[in-house]
Amino acid sequence: MSVRSEQTLRGVPTKPYDLVLEGIVVLLLVVALVVVLAALFGSPDYPTVRAQDVARDQPVALLRTAAGFLAGTSDLQHYGPPYTATTGDAQRVLGVAPAAWFGATHPIRPAEDLVLAPLQRAAQLDPSLAAPLARFRSATPAEQQSWARAYLKALDHAVVKGSQVSLPAGDYGPVTALMDGMLRLGRSGLLAGALEAGPRQPYVLDTTRALLFFQGAVDHSAAKSLNMLGETWGISHETGPYPGAWWLWPYTFLYQVPPMATSSNGDLLVVLIVLLALVLLPLFAPFVPLVNRVPRWIPLYRWIWRSWYERPEGRKPRRT
Amino acid sequence: MNLTRRLQRTLQRNLTLEDALPTRMPVYVDSVAYLFGAGTLMALVELVATGVVLTVFGPDWYHHRPVGRFVNSLHFWGVQVFFASLVLHMATKFFMAAWRDGRWPTWAVGMVAFFVALFAGLTGYLAQTNFDSQWIAVQSKDAINAVGGGSIFNPMNLGQVLTLHVVVLPLVIVGLVGVHLVLIRRDGPVHPLPRSGDAMDGGR
Repeated sequence: MSVRSEQTLRGVPTKPYDLVLEGIVVLLLVVALVVVLAALFGSPDYPTVRAQDVARDQPVALLRTAAGFLAGTSDLQHYGPPYTATTGDAQRVLGVAPAAWFGATHPIRPAEDLVLAPLQRAAQLDPSLAAPLARFRSATPAEQQSWARAYLKALDHAVVKGSQVSLPAGDYGPVTALMDGMLRLGRSGLLAGALEAGPRQPYVLDTTRALLFFQGAVDHSAAKSLNMLGETWGISHETGPYPGAWWLWPYTFLYQVPPMATSSNGDLLVVLIVLLALVLLPLFAPFVPLVNRVPRWIPLYRWIWRSWYERPEGRKPRRT
Repeated sequence: MNLTRRLQRTLQRNLTLEDALPTRMPVYVDSVAYLFGAGTLMALVELVATGVVLTVFGPDWYHHRPVGRFVNSLHFWGVQVFFASLVLHMATKFFMAAWRDGRWPTWAVGMVAFFVALFAGLTGYLAQTNFDSQWIAVQSKDAINAVGGGSIFNPMNLGQVLTLHVVVLPLVIVGLVGVHLVLIRRDGPVHPLPRSGDAMDGGR
């Protein structure tokens, strides 16, 4: 035993102990428990939201998503850093916006990156897209917005028959042809590939654009059906009857209470509270007055060391 | 100056073989509360072992083959057991005021390991390539981006998420747990509190 241990344990009676045996027994218990749980309950593996499924089952939702990118009405348009350079859109608390310090490190131009560029790639296989793409690109921003917004509005009255989506007559310019192209691209199963086409093909390690594409109403609709929305404790849930990431409950709880539940700066508020209350406070708890007295007020230690307190040594006061 | 002799002396003063692999324990180490740390450690062993198997055979295997799905379930439930043991371990150590007598570094390293484990859990969810990961990626990005973290970590970048989860974070956790264990064995089990519960502040 080291000099240090001899000093620490001077006068304390000891008993035989087998660390390795204890480790083996605990390992076997853990493995047995995990095997039983895995055999009985399996694990969740709910399929992803895929463009071909959305195009088939909710074509209007796909069109609304794509037209929203063209019309500039999607959440991404005014997200702020790291996607757009509009630093004024960054979340801020007491005038401080940490995201703005770093700028648009992952720039996303929703109309170009999520609609026009994929269609440009698809035009190699679907030449009917070339003319509407050229017309849209050569139009003024005001014309583009006007067509896309009119189309978006008309989607409220869309009629779906089989694979066809019909809209009331209107001045949508080339947007109808472009959106039909997006629907065909979605149905083909090639949309994700067209979104992620990059300089390192065939390797695609960054799935940002394909995931961002459906992050709005489509993903929310799927999440709502699975009870996974933010207002219902969100990401601490899991698909199916599983416990989920319950260790995140203190974090997701903060999203359920005002002002975080309603503030446009809610995420930043939550993270700041987490940093203070759930990271720094526990880390320095031994030095925080009152917090370091909690074990005395809730004397669980008397149960943990109950056998010690029954011994003559445990009844003596000890200087620590 | 003989560095080897200095190391020997440091170990003799702080961590002999009997300290590292003890065959005797103070009599007050006599409660189920002492097993939660071991439970956490063994759940970590299970997670690393099943994680290595999942990594070797790859996503198609663990999504679509019966044996692969079962190993995936072993990993999934290992996470649940790991966090359950860890939370019980932290709670009991808090109520034992186990930071006393200069043990705050042990407490702090354990806390940091817990925070890294939370991040490892998040990257695990993100790396599943199913709806959970798809939804958690687009949802978690907002909190990460709000503090500027999005400039470094992008939860929608599968390449980054996967390599963090299977390489970087396990190494960091195992390293921190190693330091935690060395500190635990060096300092030995903290003395029981006096029954009146005095002297629990400041890691003294």
